[in-house]
Amino acid sequence: MDTIMHLLQFTDSTFPVGTFSFSNGLETAAYEGVVRDARTLEEYTRAVALQAAFSDGVAALLSHRATLADDYDAIVRADRQIMLFKMNDEARMMLQRMGKKLAELAARLFPGNGLIGRWLSDIESGETPGSYPVAQGIVFALAGLDEEQLYASHQYGVVNMVLSAALRCVRVSHYDTQESLFRLSAEVPALYERARSMTFEDMNSFVPEMDIMASLHEKGNMRMFMN
Amino acid sequence: MSERYYSDSPKVDFDSAPEMAPYLAQPDAMYIGCPGKHGYLNLGFELDADGKSVMRELNRRAPLIVQQELYFDESMPEMPCVYILSSGGPNVDGDRYVQNFTVHKDAFAHISTGAATKLAEMKRNYSGMTQKIVLEEGAYLEYLPEPVIPCRHTRFICDTEITVHPTASMVYSEVYMGGRKYYRDGELFEFDILSVTTRGQRPDGRQLFREKFIIDPQRGGLRLTGVMDCFDIFANVVVVTPPDKAAEIYAAVEPFIDRDKGLAAGITHLPNEAGLLYKVLGKETGPVKALVREFASKVRQAVKGRPIPPEFPWR
Repeated sequence: MDTIMHLLQFTDSTFPVGTFSFSNGLETAAYEGVVRDARTLEEYTRAVALQAAFSDGVAALLSHRATLADDYDAIVRADRQIMLFKMNDEARMMLQRMGKKLAELAARLFPGNGLIGRWLSDIESGETPGSYPVAQGIVFALAGLDEEQLYASHQYGVVNMVLSAALRCVRVSHYDTQESLFRLSAEVPALYERARSMTFEDMNSFVPEMDIMASLHEKGNMRMFMN
Repeated sequence: MSERYYSDSPKVDFDSAPEMAPYLAQPDAMYIGCPGKHGYLNLGFELDADGKSVMRELNRRAPLIVQQELYFDESMPEMPCVYILSSGGPNVDGDRYVQNFTVHKDAFAHISTGAATKLAEMKRNYSGMTQKIVLEEGAYLEYLPEPVIPCRHTRFICDTEITVHPTASMVYSEVYMGGRKYYRDGELFEFDILSVTTRGQRPDGRQLFREKFIIDPQRGGLRLTGVMDCFDIFANVVVVTPPDKAAEIYAAVEPFIDRDKGLAAGITHLPNEAGLLYKVLGKETGPVKALVREFASKVRQAVKGRPIPPEFPWR
């Protein structure tokens, strides 16, 4: 049961990694009327989930496996590869801010752990970018959680980030967002089946309208969220 | 059957890409990579003794054709311009193409295609292409091909590797139509798969960025808000350029989404200060091509100090 308790803690939206500061482009999508009701919100959130499923999600899995194999170089490789794949400044910033917070938190949760110590100092020296999904992979492996649990938690976090942001910028109710969360959660096992065999070469994402939202946010002056 | 490749054929093999796994059978028609289905095109541009940029290397095999460079650009009459043609008509099942472009130190060039690239209906296999683009010190390349038009059950995979010196620049556009929109009752997003990878690196091998998108309409999800939504055409424009030029171009571009006009565009910075990425969504080809050209003109303005002239009226 102790691993389940860790899973709940790491997945909880109050887990202090700064999730609440980001909207993954939703703020702009709502302003532009692209997301305007519960239906378009669920679609947009599904697109965000798909995008994460075959990029960040894959990086998290590769980092988890590298941690279990005690292969530090492979962890750093996963970290660099996911950053090569991030095509806008705010997305890179989100990954690095949340990643660093998680690493700092992990240093408290696993005191004296050599891997976490090395990871944090390599982030600080700029040796590795320190992205969030890669940090998740490390932390879940250290806590004895398996990769399915990691992937579920990762996807839940992505979906819940957008839906929670929606309560502050889209005309939807808690009932709407919980219904969407319930439906989108049911889609995660199928995503995992596809993501589990992917390597760096296979990471992919196709969300052009989201990319344009991110650009509008970056050049605009909406600042309730950092992306 | 792949042993039947000609000995001088560059290898183009995407059979290990998981997204192509359903499409590996031998075509019923001519076999994979047979003569006429395995074209290559090597182009090299350099400055001659008088400092004129010329196409020094032209090495090709059918169906890819380049005749000779022309100097028709009114704002840069010193720039060699090349159109790639294909004698084979559309790309078909089992086609394997290679395109390698090198722009040597301080040289510059403009490459386009003579017409849209049609990707035919495919039944057993796929059409694959690799591109290697090398930009040496101070080099400048405009690679602005006409749109790509997939048909029902098209499978196409492309891998582009860009090796760029920190002082060199390139603007490379890809315009993907959702299909033959006005063919019969309309044929939008009925292709099987488009898989497109674009990778950037420095001459020393340091990786700069890697973008891969897979569009597989049969899986659903393409019309989601955030993906293609109500749009039918997607353009992706990669700009590699030094940071000061990138800043100038970035400042000159206003992202927007106009749902009434059915047009949207956005710009972001590539990782590792490699340059910029410009994306356009639209409903018709004309306005998308116009935006891409307007953007490419801003790139030329920042890098060469001159705009791109208006497109020929017949293009």
